[in-house]
Amino acid sequence: MGYFSALDASASGLSAQRFRMDIISQNIANANTTRTQNGMPYRRKVVVFEERNSGSFSDYLNAAASKNYMSKAPGGVRVAKILEDNAPFKRVYDPGNPDADADGYVSLPNVDIVTEMVNMISASRAYEANVTSINATKAIAMKALEIGR
Amino acid sequence: MLNGIFRQNTLLEKSLDASWVRNEVISENLANVDTPGYKRKVVEFESLLKDALENRLDMKTSHSRHIRNDAASVINSTGSRIKRENKDFNLRLDGNNVDIDNEMSTLAKNTIKYNTLVQSLNLSMRRIKMSVNEGRK
Repeated sequence: MGYFSALDASASGLSAQRFRMDIISQNIANANTTRTQNGMPYRRKVVVFEERNSGSFSDYLNAAASKNYMSKAPGGVRVAKILEDNAPFKRVYDPGNPDADADGYVSLPNVDIVTEMVNMISASRAYEANVTSINATKAIAMKALEIGR
Repeated sequence: MLNGIFRQNTLLEKSLDASWVRNEVISENLANVDTPGYKRKVVEFESLLKDALENRLDMKTSHSRHIRNDAASVINSTGSRIKRENKDFNLRLDGNNVDIDNEMSTLAKNTIKYNTLVQSLNLSMRRIKMSVNEGRK
């Protein structure tokens, strides 16, 4: 770990949470989209995170061989994949809609606004936590400059 | 005599290092607060130091080049260790055990501790400086 690896870890957390926020915004924006490229209504998207630099054999080997944990590559988080929610579409009776089927039902996206809002709050709180962590890292790095003054 | 001057400083430096690593680990835990299956990391230092100091063998030396096992060398060889904590205290279905309140309070504690250590290191250096200058400022 270098001098700024804590900042790198926090920064990766910030960008991951911001990306999650982007996807949530996209879900909310498409809450009523009945037409997508494949002809189906919009499917809700979910972001999956994974730990950065974890579990690879060489990481463990280096850590064990050097016993010097300061030399470890910076950790953090990254976006592993974006999955589509396979929950069934909402069916609404609306015969006047151009996208209604033969029975007069329209398939609406499986986006639940309330769920998205809750996820949005969670993402923004996690973002704030990372900002706090960056500030703390900055504070102790600045304090370290005072040693021997 | 001169070797002894910086003994307390070595201890403070080690503690500062551990505090720094702890800050990095907390940052990683906070970055991974939404990662499925992530287990939080913790830094062990104080317990390791205590163990090393309490369980050290006092070795008598009859020559200056003999291996010594005094407190200073024990402190010098003790470092922090990063450990994965697999315990689960909260009810999260994604297998992640990062508790954000816990991490935030540890982060605040760690920052204050770092500041305290820097201050104490500065005071100790000021004392040395004062004695070097024979008490003149």
